Amino acid sequence: MEPQPHLRIRNLSVSYGAQEVLKNVSLDVPDRKITVIIGPSGCGKTTLLKSLNRLLDSVDGVRIEGHIFIDDEDIYDPRVEATHIRKKMGLLSQKPQVLPMSVFDNIAYGPKIHGLRDRKRLRVLVERELKAAGLWDEVKDRLHEPASRLSVGQQQRLCLARGLAVEPEIILGDEPTSALDPQSSRIVEQRLIALKSEYTVIVVTHILRQARRIADHLAFLYLGELVEHGPAAEFFANPRDPRTRAYLTGEIS
Amino acid sequence: MRTFRRRKIEERIFKVLMLASTVVVTASLLVIVGTIVVKSLPALRLSMLVQTPKGGYYLGKEGGILNAIAGSLYLASGATLLAVLLSLPVVLYLNLYTRKSSVLAMFTRFSLDVLWGIPSIVYGAFGFIVMMTLGLRASLLAGIITVGLLEIPIMARAMDEVIRLVPPALKDASDSLGATKLETALKVVVKQALPGILTAVLIAFGRGIGDAASVLFTAGFTDSLPGSLLQPAATLPLAIFFQLGTPFPEVQQRAYASAAVLTLIILVISLVSRVLIKRFTRHTIK
Ligand SMILES: Nc1ncnc2c1ncn2[C@@H]1O[C@H](COP(=O)(O)OP(=O)(O)O)[C@@H](O)[C@H]1O
Ligand SMILES: [Mg+2]
Repeated sequence: MEPQPHLRIRNLSVSYGAQEVLKNVSLDVPDRKITVIIGPSGCGKTTLLKSLNRLLDSVDGVRIEGHIFIDDEDIYDPRVEATHIRKKMGLLSQKPQVLPMSVFDNIAYGPKIHGLRDRKRLRVLVERELKAAGLWDEVKDRLHEPASRLSVGQQQRLCLARGLAVEPEIILGDEPTSALDPQSSRIVEQRLIALKSEYTVIVVTHILRQARRIADHLAFLYLGELVEHGPAAEFFANPRDPRTRAYLTGEIS
Repeated sequence: MRTFRRRKIEERIFKVLMLASTVVVTASLLVIVGTIVVKSLPALRLSMLVQTPKGGYYLGKEGGILNAIAGSLYLASGATLLAVLLSLPVVLYLNLYTRKSSVLAMFTRFSLDVLWGIPSIVYGAFGFIVMMTLGLRASLLAGIITVGLLEIPIMARAMDEVIRLVPPALKDASDSLGATKLETALKVVVKQALPGILTAVLIAFGRGIGDAASVLFTAGFTDSLPGSLLQPAATLPLAIFFQLGTPFPEVQQRAYASAAVLTLIILVISLVSRVLIKRFTRHTIK
């Protein structure tokens, strides 16, 4: 028997006011693989991703039912601190969202709030993360410039590095390449593939070709329902549900 | 064809009207400043800025308005500091800790709007009643508190508008690194909104330093420099008022000179803060 995966979603339903956006979603997210969530726009992909690190908490009129377990800890248990859950996940948003501070401070921000004060160790950490992100050579002379002056592609890589600096276990990407040019997209995709040896990665996309390039595991979301999920090869070769087949052939989008 | 010509004429007429309005507004500013400068020139000399009123100053004898300059600067700085200390927490609370549908938030914003509209003489009268009840006399402190109250709705509403514009995605980015609400509020939201926040502070300061009605009964007036928080303090608006109220033309000229000084203070503070805003907000994401 396979060991239980790290991240399990059980009977998750989310509504905004009267509109039910996720309907009874259950999914085991395989460890150290890239799970890609696909589905047409408005089907609830972003909502699903945000529910994983409790970013929905602050949304007006939201109702969340069901459970999400990380290592057997139910993240919606009232005793669990949202900050503790969020630290375990790095989030890449659709549009890169750098913090209003320098390149250096964007990376140092997370470790600092979690208690790392030593300036020398911060410098070492920032350099290490920027090198890992392949950004060091591009930004080493502009560490103290505002991060918003970087190109959009550099900003997205900076956001990824910023998330990794707090040592998460899971990486969430919400259409992380949709604002990027093709070359930056490829760099980010390759980074995600490299990261799966150490992290559990979940990426939302509506680009099927991207899903084929990076996915180990796929989940198809349609109108708030998790229609079908499975290993990538199987999913693309033998979709079971007629809606999945229709989506893969482009009949619904 | 006819309709096209009509639309073109319409366009022209409205463009001219808009330009005319712009000219009227800009010209009134120039006329106001010009009048003050011209009227004050005969009285404007250095002694006005560095001396306090000597005996008989209001009859046209020697002296200056240093008492009022210092008093106004102390009073407006104190009041603005007080207003910042109360407005910023309110605004951060409204925007980061309450939901949009929150009754408390709605009621607070409504109250601020009402307070904004209340004439400053009412603040003055209110401050006066509180002082009487507590058995205090007119003092710098009473003036600071009254003017602080007057500034709060102006400052808080202006801050509210800019903090509301901070993109939710930016808060999400900070939150998802495991920041607490307070950390996100102070280190990210305030930082992003800093230019607008500083502008709000500046507007409130301008309102505070220029207001006469609220300090009339609360700060009192004195010919000496402000000695302590519990003693009365002179202010420029009241100095203008008193000098303009004398029957002597040369004292009235000094009122215009005082007005020029007040305008100059506001101008200098605007310019300096603009430079500071540029310097401190280079990280703000446009
Ligand atoms: N904050 C919100 N309040 C109300 N409705 C929302 C909110 N966020 C998303 N929705 C609605 O929920 C549905 C799913 O949205 P989303 O999860 O963003 O889908 P996707 O990412 O797949 O495009 C959409 O119909 C959207 O309009
Ligand atoms: Mg989305």
